[in-house]
Amino acid sequence: MIELKHISKWVTIGGKPNFILKDVNATVNEGEFLSIMGPSGSGKSTLLNVIGMLDEFNEGEYRFFHEEVHKMKEKQRSNLYKQYIGFVFQAYHLIDELTVYENIETPLIYQDVKSSERKAMVADILDRFNIVGKKDLFPTQLSGGQQQLVGIARALIARPKLILADEPTGNLNSKQGEEIMNLFKQLNDEGVTIIQVTHSEKNAAYGKRIIHLLDGRIEREE
Amino acid sequence: MIKNYFKIAWRNLIKHKGISGINLFGLTVGLTSCLLITVYILNELSYDRYNKNADNIYRVTRSFNNKDGVVSLNLSTVAPPFGYYLPTDFPEIQKMTRLLDAVISPLRYKEKLFNEKGVFFADENLFDVFSVKVLKGNPATALKDPFSIMLTEESAKKYFGEEDPMDKTIRYNNKFELKVTGIYKAFPSNAHMHPNMLCSFNTLRDTAVYGEENLRTNWGNNSFFTYIVLPKGYDIKNMGTRFPAFIDKHMTGQEYVGNQPSKMTKLGLQKLTDIHLYSHTDYEAEPNSDISRVYIFASIALFILLIACINYMNLSTARSVLRAREIGIRKVIGAEKKELIFQFIGESVLITVVAILLAFGLLALTLPWLNKLTGQNLSTGILLKWQVVVSLVLSPFIIGAIAGIYPAMFMSSFKPVKTLKGFFKAGGAGLSLRKALVVTQFSISIILIITTMVVYQQLHYMQKKSLGFEKDHMVIIPYNRALNDKYESFRTEMLANSSIKDATRTSRIPTGRLLDASNAATFSGDSAVPVNTDIKLVSVDYDFIPTYKIKLLAGRNYSREYGTDTASFVLNESAIKAIGWKNPENAIGKEFKYDDIRGHVIGVVDDFHFESMHQKIVPMVFVMFPSRVSFFNNLSVKIAGNDVSSALATIESAWKKFVPDTPFEYTFLDDNFDKLYESEQKQGTLFTTFACIAILIACLGLLGLSAFTISQRIKEIGVRKVLGANTGGIVALLSKDFLKLVAIAALISFPVAWYAMNNWLKDFAYRINIQWWIFIAAAVVALLVALITVSSQAIKAALANPVKSLRTE
Repeated sequence: MIELKHISKWVTIGGKPNFILKDVNATVNEGEFLSIMGPSGSGKSTLLNVIGMLDEFNEGEYRFFHEEVHKMKEKQRSNLYKQYIGFVFQAYHLIDELTVYENIETPLIYQDVKSSERKAMVADILDRFNIVGKKDLFPTQLSGGQQQLVGIARALIARPKLILADEPTGNLNSKQGEEIMNLFKQLNDEGVTIIQVTHSEKNAAYGKRIIHLLDGRIEREE
Repeated sequence: MIKNYFKIAWRNLIKHKGISGINLFGLTVGLTSCLLITVYILNELSYDRYNKNADNIYRVTRSFNNKDGVVSLNLSTVAPPFGYYLPTDFPEIQKMTRLLDAVISPLRYKEKLFNEKGVFFADENLFDVFSVKVLKGNPATALKDPFSIMLTEESAKKYFGEEDPMDKTIRYNNKFELKVTGIYKAFPSNAHMHPNMLCSFNTLRDTAVYGEENLRTNWGNNSFFTYIVLPKGYDIKNMGTRFPAFIDKHMTGQEYVGNQPSKMTKLGLQKLTDIHLYSHTDYEAEPNSDISRVYIFASIALFILLIACINYMNLSTARSVLRAREIGIRKVIGAEKKELIFQFIGESVLITVVAILLAFGLLALTLPWLNKLTGQNLSTGILLKWQVVVSLVLSPFIIGAIAGIYPAMFMSSFKPVKTLKGFFKAGGAGLSLRKALVVTQFSISIILIITTMVVYQQLHYMQKKSLGFEKDHMVIIPYNRALNDKYESFRTEMLANSSIKDATRTSRIPTGRLLDASNAATFSGDSAVPVNTDIKLVSVDYDFIPTYKIKLLAGRNYSREYGTDTASFVLNESAIKAIGWKNPENAIGKEFKYDDIRGHVIGVVDDFHFESMHQKIVPMVFVMFPSRVSFFNNLSVKIAGNDVSSALATIESAWKKFVPDTPFEYTFLDDNFDKLYESEQKQGTLFTTFACIAILIACLGLLGLSAFTISQRIKEIGVRKVLGANTGGIVALLSKDFLKLVAIAALISFPVAWYAMNNWLKDFAYRINIQWWIFIAAAVVALLVALITVSSQAIKAALANPVKSLRTE
């Protein structure tokens, strides 16, 4: 599904390249649950953004379902990730001015899904996540765990093949965190590919495979 | 999707009340100004369009040339024989109708006696040409019979109260009985003339009134408004080229125009609908406006709108930082750039829609103010034309798009990775453009301030410049010829009271126009040498010069002690120069001929401002030929300043005693004088108002922008304070950047304002030089206002406890 070959990314500071990612090679197959670990500044978020096509890289090849991402224009890329990828963030990143319902609905709007269909899809997912009662609340009226739940619901609404999660439990207490991780596991069992970035060994263990990053390189895999 | 945009736009509006308020207020005030000006301009453009035939009606005008070919006089009226011959010589004329101002006519019905202005003699087919509604009487025949009169509802009420005026008689000039044959609806306010009463033109054919003969042969009485209806699409050049031959054919035997009259006098055609904005002849039915005024106000409207739009752009881009996260999220969950652009433009359209709705409310509230100021009767009804309605409906979309396009492009190009990770820093983003926008706003404001100051200076100059005569405590009464024989005793009676200083009769009074002129000649030996320049004529009596306290440069005034003074001339200094005499002394005793009277120059007076400061002082001659006595139109009475009411009572009792059947009505000369500059005065008020609005909106924008910029620098301020900076230093630091922008704006605005006002001043024969300090003053005003605005925010920030600001960061 994902094939990364010799991916490097750097910024030039004082004339010298400063590597954020250096010669990263990785393959992710459909149905995998991959955890990326590493200390702060090791480049794990950047790697996730590169995989999610939100960030660019300077060198290397990236194939997504055999399509050559590195040769695409921005518009093609965004069409691609719109179709296949859902994002989950540490800070949830819900739109404060929209209600729970509207937040979940927005990706469908951007994919030109018909209004009646949207209603059905949003109702489905609200039901599944048990947040029907919260649908008219604004994000600020929810607890962190609930907000992240909405964030995941929003990521899933367009039925992506891949979920990218950047420290999804980083802002949550351990009980809430556990619930979210169980949800991911369940989703993975249903066939959704998941790549998560995390600090926590415990959360990383939910993944079927762990990549350890250090200073932009893959240190080891387990 | 659109619903979603509007929902979020609305919630954003509500959430950020401060900035939304500034945006909304600025746009509302800007749009209200625009709407007010639009109503004003639409009204200006609507003049005379109420006529069904508006596009095919033309007014015949006449101009006169000097011997050297220069146009000396241009009139919107022509002599009656033109009207007599035109329809036969030009078969393409479908209809012709004429109006003659009866000037001031005393009218009486029972005890009601008034000097009536706005009485016109009118052809019987008037209502065929002008679409004026006749309420009572038959429009086709009401003006047919001689000695018929039609009234407006208002004038009918004035004389007849609740009585039915039809078939009653009104006494005209204490001589004729006029029968009321109809009532018509007053000419609309957007007509170029407003007759209160219409007297049948056929009345003029009576020899006791004017005479058939005169209508056919009097080429000199150029006071007939003559309108013709031409076929649709007719090219008036066609008639224009045939006018000279027409003049030469009919004006034979007219001494003053010589053998080829078409060289000395010309006819012209004015489109009826052009009269109000384009006609500036020396004699108009009512004062007209000017197309330049329309342009000036249109540009002010656009300027104010621009300032309001700039506010929106500035505040939105500045505030975009706060929305960067939302933009990032939307992009990540699938929004494309164009969808975001659409969303943000939608927001500005929404706010503009709200603003325009509020502006309509404000328009209704402020329109009475504009009406008071312009003396017009404007109503919002003028906006109810499909073209206007369509543009008004479209305008929020256009204005919203203009104001929103830049912020939308700017914001939609944010990179999601950056905005979501919080790397996003407001500092540099769009800063130089924001600066340029602030400079634009303040340039416009400063230009408006300078404009206002120059207008007022010129106004002050015109009102305070020495006129060369005394205008104070001068009572002006319409003269009545019934006084002719008893005038000396009337005058003596008045002067017996010490509150009356002097009195004089004249054909025209200062503050009026000088339109009468005749041929002048000097003599070399016994042969007459014609004077090529026009010398304007004023008929006076013995007391004109002393009553008005006009300075004599040489010679003497007319005197009751000289029997020969009826063939003597007093000239002004300009006339002496125009004739070519060396100096005033040199002119005394010279032989001179004016009209057909030959005599000697007895006095020369200093130049004085008979007309307004718009006009140059022209050569003038003051005469008291016996034949000109019937030309007296005004009685000027100089009274003592300490007891005006007793002086007026004295004049009135003398008047009632000598001419009991004529109404006693008066004005003060200084009021007339103020009226000369009424239009400049109004312009000044409008400029001040709009300049204030412009600077208010600009300051609101600056307030929002500085509040925002400062909030972005809270941490810096905290650090500086911890390091020991004092409040003053911080305020200076924060204000400096903004004041620099205002200073740049000042430099840009100076040449523009100078150029514009220099052009404006060209309309005045007597004008101020624009002074350098006006520019400095305007810049200082703008700087002060900006300083107060910015420093209010800066002081707040500087006084804040650094511990707090550092912690929140």
